[in-house]
Amino acid sequence: MSGQSSYLKQFSKSKSGVAGLVLLVILLVLSVYVLLAYPPNIASTWNNPKSWQSNPAKAPPSWIGYLGQDVPSTISFPSVQWTNSAPQGGSTYNYSNSYSFKWSSSKTPSNIVFTPQFKGTLLEAVVTWTKPDGQSLVIYIGSPQPNNIYDVTDQSIVQWIHQFIQSQTGSLQATVTTPDELSALFDRDGPNLLSNPVLHGTYHVRYDLVSQSPVSVSQATSLKVIGTSYGIMGTDLYGRPIQLGVLLGLPYALELGAVTSVVAVLFGIFFGGISGFIGGRRDGVMQWFTLVFLALPALPFLIALSYSITLDLLTEALLIAALSWPFYAIIARSVALSVKSQTYVEADRAMGISSLRTFLTHFMPRLTPVSIAYTVLGIPAGILLAQTLAFLGIAPPNIVTWGGILDEAFVQQAALFGWWWWVFFPGMMIVVVAVPFVLVGFALDRIVAPKVTAK
Amino acid sequence: MTYRRFVITKTISYAVALVATVSILYVGIYPSLQHVITNQATVQTQQFIQSLAKNAHGSLTQAEIQREGAAYKANFLSAFGFSQPLPVKFALQLYHLFTFQFGTSYFTLAPNGSNLVSSVIAAYLPNTILLFTTGTILVVLAGSVIGLLAARYAGGKLDRSIPFIAVFHSSLPTWWVGFLFIAYFAYSVNLFPSGGIISVPPPSGVIPQFGDFLYHLTLPLAAFFVVNVGGFAYVIRSLVVSTMSEDFVLTARARGIAENRILFSHVLRTVSPSIATQAVLAVAGSLGGAITVEVVFRWPGVGLLTYDSILANDLPIIIATTFVLTIVLLVGLYIGELLYGVLDPRIKSG
Repeated sequence: MSGQSSYLKQFSKSKSGVAGLVLLVILLVLSVYVLLAYPPNIASTWNNPKSWQSNPAKAPPSWIGYLGQDVPSTISFPSVQWTNSAPQGGSTYNYSNSYSFKWSSSKTPSNIVFTPQFKGTLLEAVVTWTKPDGQSLVIYIGSPQPNNIYDVTDQSIVQWIHQFIQSQTGSLQATVTTPDELSALFDRDGPNLLSNPVLHGTYHVRYDLVSQSPVSVSQATSLKVIGTSYGIMGTDLYGRPIQLGVLLGLPYALELGAVTSVVAVLFGIFFGGISGFIGGRRDGVMQWFTLVFLALPALPFLIALSYSITLDLLTEALLIAALSWPFYAIIARSVALSVKSQTYVEADRAMGISSLRTFLTHFMPRLTPVSIAYTVLGIPAGILLAQTLAFLGIAPPNIVTWGGILDEAFVQQAALFGWWWWVFFPGMMIVVVAVPFVLVGFALDRIVAPKVTAK
Repeated sequence: MTYRRFVITKTISYAVALVATVSILYVGIYPSLQHVITNQATVQTQQFIQSLAKNAHGSLTQAEIQREGAAYKANFLSAFGFSQPLPVKFALQLYHLFTFQFGTSYFTLAPNGSNLVSSVIAAYLPNTILLFTTGTILVVLAGSVIGLLAARYAGGKLDRSIPFIAVFHSSLPTWWVGFLFIAYFAYSVNLFPSGGIISVPPPSGVIPQFGDFLYHLTLPLAAFFVVNVGGFAYVIRSLVVSTMSEDFVLTARARGIAENRILFSHVLRTVSPSIATQAVLAVAGSLGGAITVEVVFRWPGVGLLTYDSILANDLPIIIATTFVLTIVLLVGLYIGELLYGVLDPRIKSG
């Protein structure tokens, strides 16, 4: 059959179809990347607020800084070489390291996080904070626990900052908040410390670790200056990066959409095609059967079912397919009817050719391209339904879904508080994923449709 | 076939379909339904025992009360076909569903304070039907006009942009659009209320109340409309374009009839049965979107009721809403079918 290659040629002429195909490949590559790059249990990390403690909460995306808003982004220093010196006087081992960062915003960051990671026992650790004008203060003296997270809300750091505030301003109010403590670290020194402007320039943070025995300090010992903006898509109320959630939701969405659509379209096209082909009383019965399933309201029915069945991805996809095939059966039946009225079908019958052969030679070649087009168009419909279910709180466990992220945004009243990034990006992903499929599907449909209806 | 015979055939077919659809639903919810009925039996028996103990004033021993209670529970369960053959159980439970005897809810109350599931649903359902039918009528009317105009000026700007609008809009989740509308129109520019069906406290007088109601209806309706109108217009356009190449249109053109007249009287009359079919499919396809848009707008319909019931684990309500929405959908499809019969001259004239 030369039909298939001519379809391909026609498809390559459709600009929007090709654009859709390119987008599709990009999405597929991205989801393969997600599956390879993140462990399978990433959803439990995602759902654990503790994992995101060191991220700024409800931070807008960093790029809005370019639109004129002063939102310092997060600066992170994960790995720096530690210098160690041999025991001096035969008593102690000293390790030290200094982090430097440039600060050009006139706002303070939202937090500073230290994560000391080492093996062994420390005698003492000292952290010294030096401002661009050379003034320095000690912000920590003590023996930290390895792998603990220390930040500016931590009492062991707060007490040193409070001491510094008192030494500068001469008094310490009872209500010193975290922003005040950060101001103390970033503002120019003086009696008006907390209302002075933020100093621009290079800050230095020096760690000095002292131990009686050799300690292995991990490269992962880090310092994080938490800004008030984060990444491409910002963070939610718990500091989870929306961009990560959006990425993690991608493979699930595509997988579910594809399975749903293939199953529903294959069944629907066969059912409707045969129904239109055989006609008569049996066609009536099959149409009635289609109606029975069409009348099941997909969303409420799936919600009710979720109380009887534990959903996993495959069950969910098959259930959605079981509720969406009638749409394709109706379309396939009308295609079959239009083929049936053609003269070559009557010629077949007149020549006594078996009806199975007629079905395979005349109906299937016309139903196949239609089914390909509708499979492609059906994928976003499946994705949409699954995300809507997730928004209502029904999704397979241990899977990150865009609908679920949006449900949380809804519950936390993100729209009211103006956290638009939390609402916009996950929802936009549903559209971003749907559009290439619809573009390809429409291009296919346009190629296929005239051949079917042509008289 | 006369229209009368058409109606009778269809009515029988839909009535049987109703029973079949509900049977499928029944199989799907079987475990939860038995769970709910057993819970109801326990709660009712508890109430029965309490009232018996109170009214007996010591004339009954504890053992007697317990025995009466057990008998009451057995009686209650046998009314739902427990300890009876499966077909009888099925028939009895289906009978209860079809007579809207859903029992009592776990938490949710109707506005009049009743905890009967049927009264809760009766309070919420009209709001859904109102939003959903108004939305569908608007979509069908506007979509038909846009589709016809696109076909009239085939190849023009409108015609070329419709597929893309259809693409974009039909991939939008209705509830998400609602969400964005709230963020912008309600919280950012303060033009419309962020949700609900009427202001608290409601304005006095019928006309101000109606106005206030329309004011609350605007945003959810707009979200529903925006998502559904593009796809519908595209379908209508395709139907009309394929009809425009039919012989009777050529004949009409040859007779010198004005293009607008051909379009709005000849072509429209021919495609109107198909429009009815498409409208019915659109109704079936957009029900899910309609009930989720209620959630974001806190529109007190069955969609919001379902959402809140999922949060509260109120299983009786969830089962009942599913059942009621199935019936609503089937009735919608039935009305569409009858409309098709009216519009299709082959059926109407017999």
